[in-house]
Amino acid sequence: MAIYNREAFLDHLSEKLGTPRHQKDKEPFTHINQLPEETLADLSADELLEMARNTSEALKVTFKVTSKADLGGVLDAYLTDKGDGQLILPTAPDKIKAYGLDDWTAAASNQRTVKYWDPKADRATNLATAQDSAMAIGFGDYMLAESGTITVPSSPGQGRAFNFLPTHYLCIVKRSNILPRSTQATKLYAQRLKSGELKTSNINYISGPSNSGDIEMVLIVGVHGPLDMTYIVVDDM
Amino acid sequence: MGIATSDKPLLARVKESEQDKFMQASVAKAQDAQHTKREDSRALLGNWEEWRELGEQIRQRAIAYLPDYLEEFSNNVDKNGGDVFFADTEADAVDYIQKIVKETGAKKLVKSKSMVTTEIDMDKQLLALNKGLALMETDLAEFILQKDNWDEPTHIVFPTLHKNRDQVREIFMKLGYEGDNDPEHLARFARKYLREYFLQADLGVTGCNFAVADTGMINLVTNEGNADLTMAIPKTQIVVMGMERIVPTMADAEVLDNLLCRSAVGQKLTSYVTFAGQQVAGETDGPENFHVVIVDNRRSEALGTQFQSILQCIRCGACINVCPVYRHIGGHGYGSIYPGPIGAVLSPILGGYEKFGELPYASSLCGACTETCPVKIPLHKLLIQHRMVYTDRLKMQGGLNNFMMEVIGIGTGFPFLFRSAIRFGRPGLRTMAHKTDRLTALNFIKDEPLVDKGPGLVGGWADVRDLPIPPKHKESFRSWFADHKQQQKLAQAQKDNSSDK
Repeated sequence: MAIYNREAFLDHLSEKLGTPRHQKDKEPFTHINQLPEETLADLSADELLEMARNTSEALKVTFKVTSKADLGGVLDAYLTDKGDGQLILPTAPDKIKAYGLDDWTAAASNQRTVKYWDPKADRATNLATAQDSAMAIGFGDYMLAESGTITVPSSPGQGRAFNFLPTHYLCIVKRSNILPRSTQATKLYAQRLKSGELKTSNINYISGPSNSGDIEMVLIVGVHGPLDMTYIVVDDM
Repeated sequence: MGIATSDKPLLARVKESEQDKFMQASVAKAQDAQHTKREDSRALLGNWEEWRELGEQIRQRAIAYLPDYLEEFSNNVDKNGGDVFFADTEADAVDYIQKIVKETGAKKLVKSKSMVTTEIDMDKQLLALNKGLALMETDLAEFILQKDNWDEPTHIVFPTLHKNRDQVREIFMKLGYEGDNDPEHLARFARKYLREYFLQADLGVTGCNFAVADTGMINLVTNEGNADLTMAIPKTQIVVMGMERIVPTMADAEVLDNLLCRSAVGQKLTSYVTFAGQQVAGETDGPENFHVVIVDNRRSEALGTQFQSILQCIRCGACINVCPVYRHIGGHGYGSIYPGPIGAVLSPILGGYEKFGELPYASSLCGACTETCPVKIPLHKLLIQHRMVYTDRLKMQGGLNNFMMEVIGIGTGFPFLFRSAIRFGRPGLRTMAHKTDRLTALNFIKDEPLVDKGPGLVGGWADVRDLPIPPKHKESFRSWFADHKQQQKLAQAQKDNSSDK
C-alpha cells in the first residue's frame, strides 16, 4: 500500500554503519553450521512418534494415535468426554473426505449443534461462532516431535480465531507429517509460500494449551487460548 | 516518561528496593527456577555453544545490513497490502499511530505485550489524545500493571515479579472479582474479563519478536494466546517494532525462536509461535489493515560504534536472570523499563548518559550475563565501555571524585608520598572507629571498634561494608616485616660470627 519516510531513515542508518546501501546480495548469507537441520534428523518414524507423544504429554496435551477407520469413534469419545456444547469444524471438504469423516460429521450434527467456520460468512459471524463453541476440531499440517507442536496455517475455512476462541481444542494430524523439529516445518512453509502453493497470512505453531506464570511464577494452564488440547495422530503409514 | 520509570537518583531507588523484601525473595526464586529450566533445556538441545555462534551470526548479519533488510521487509509488507512507517523518534511513532486511530475511528484498542510501545509511552499518550478511546493491555502481567494505576514493569519477560497474589487479588477486586487469591482463579477472572473486551476490539497493537525480511511477515513468540487474538479479531493491526528486530528469512527467525524460548523460559518452543501479516484474499479474520511502525528512537546511536552488538539482543532476559545485582535491587532499582545488564547497556544509549550514565556501574562485572547470552553479546565488556565514555570522555563524574582520584594518583606515584599516606592514614582512620552493639561479622569474632562511616572514598566503602579498625603503625604489616627482616639480619650476623670462631 504505502511506505513512509523510508529513504531518509535508511540513508541515516547507512551513514551510521559507514557502509553503502544495497550490499547484502553481493555477499550471500550461509549459516555457520547446520545444527538446525542436523539435530534429531536421524530419528526413525517410530522414534519421532514416541518423542512427539512424550513431549506433548509433558505439555499436558492428550495424545492419541488411531487409524482412519477408528477416527470417528475417537472423536465421539472426545466429544462425550468434553460434555455438552456447540462444536465448530473447519470448512475443509477435501480434508474431511481424506480422513473419512463425511459420515461422522453428518452423524455428529444429530448429537449436538455443529457449526462451521464459514468462508462466505463475515468476520463477526465467524468470530461469534468460534466464541460460542465449547469445542473445536481442526486439522493441522505438521507435528513437531521435539517440542510437542502442531502447525496450523490459517485458511478461508479455518481462520485464526478458530484455534483460540473455543474452550477445548482438538487437532488431527497425519502420522507421516510428524517432523523432527520446527526447522523442517519452517523450511517447508517458506518453500510453499514462495512457490505460491500456500496462500496464508498466518501460520501458528501451537505447543499445548495456553499458559502463564505471571502470578508468582505459578504455572496456570489455559489463559486466553483453549483450556486444554488434544492431538489425534492418524496412522497413514 | 519514555524508558525512565523513576525520577529518583540511583541510590535512592536502590534504597527503596532494599526495603522490598517480597520483591527480593521473588526475584531470587525466579532466578533460581529459571536457572534450572534454562540450563536443562539448553543441555537437552545439545551443542549449545555452536547454537550461540549461529544465533550471533544471524543477528550480526541482520545488523550489518540493516538498511537493506529493512528495505526488503518494507517492500514485502507493501506488496502484501500493508503500510510501513519509519519513525525516527518516539513522537513520530506515536503521531503515526494516532493518525491510524483517527482514520479508523477506533474505539476499543487491544494490546499484546510490547517493550517498544512501553518505551514510546504509547498507551498513555493515545489515551490523552483520544477521550473516547478505551485501551486494554491483554497480557496477564501487563493487564495487572495497567489496572494497578499503570505500575511499572520489573522484568522484560516477567513484568509483575514484584507483585504477590494478594496484591493481584486486591487489584482485581476493584474490577468485580470476588474470589480467593488462588492464581488459577485470578487468571480465569482475567480471561473472562478480557475475552468480552477482545470481542469488541476494532484495533490491535502488537510488538514483534522478529520481522522477516523476505516474506513481510512478523514473528511472535508467546504463551498466553492474547497476541494471537490481538492479531485475529480487530480489523486493523499496528505492529510497533524496534528497527533491529529484523531477520533475513523465516529459517533465521526459527533458529532465534529456539534460542529465545530456551533462554527466556526454558521451553523448547512457547505455546504459540506465529508468523503473521496482512490478511489474504478469502480469509475472514486477521487484519484487513496492517501497519508496521519501525522505530529508531536513538538505536542508531549504537550503529558503527563499540555498542553496535547490543542491537543483536533478542530480549530473552537471560542476562537479567543471572545477574547478582538485579537479584538484590530488582527491576525498579534500575529506573528504566530495560533493567539488568541489558538495561544497563541499552538505557544510556536510548535515554542518554545524563539520565542513565550511572547504570553501567550497577554491575559486579562478573561476566555471567555475557556467558548466558544466546547471541553472544559481550555485555560486561560493553558496561566497561560505557564507564569509559562516562568518565573519560564525558567527565560526568567530575567534582570531588575526580579530585580525589587525582590526589591518589599523585600519592601512589611517589614512594615517599605513599609511605607518608600510609603512616598518617592509619591514625586518621583509627579516630573514626567506634564500638557498636550491632552484630557484624567483625565484632562477632572479636569485640573491637570498627569504621562504618567516613568521608569521601572511606564513606563509599563503609556505606556497604564495615572496615576493621586499622592496626597501630608499629603493629602494621610493614612495621612487622621491617622488624622481622631486622631480626633475620641480626640472627644471620650472630650465626656468621659463631662460625668464624
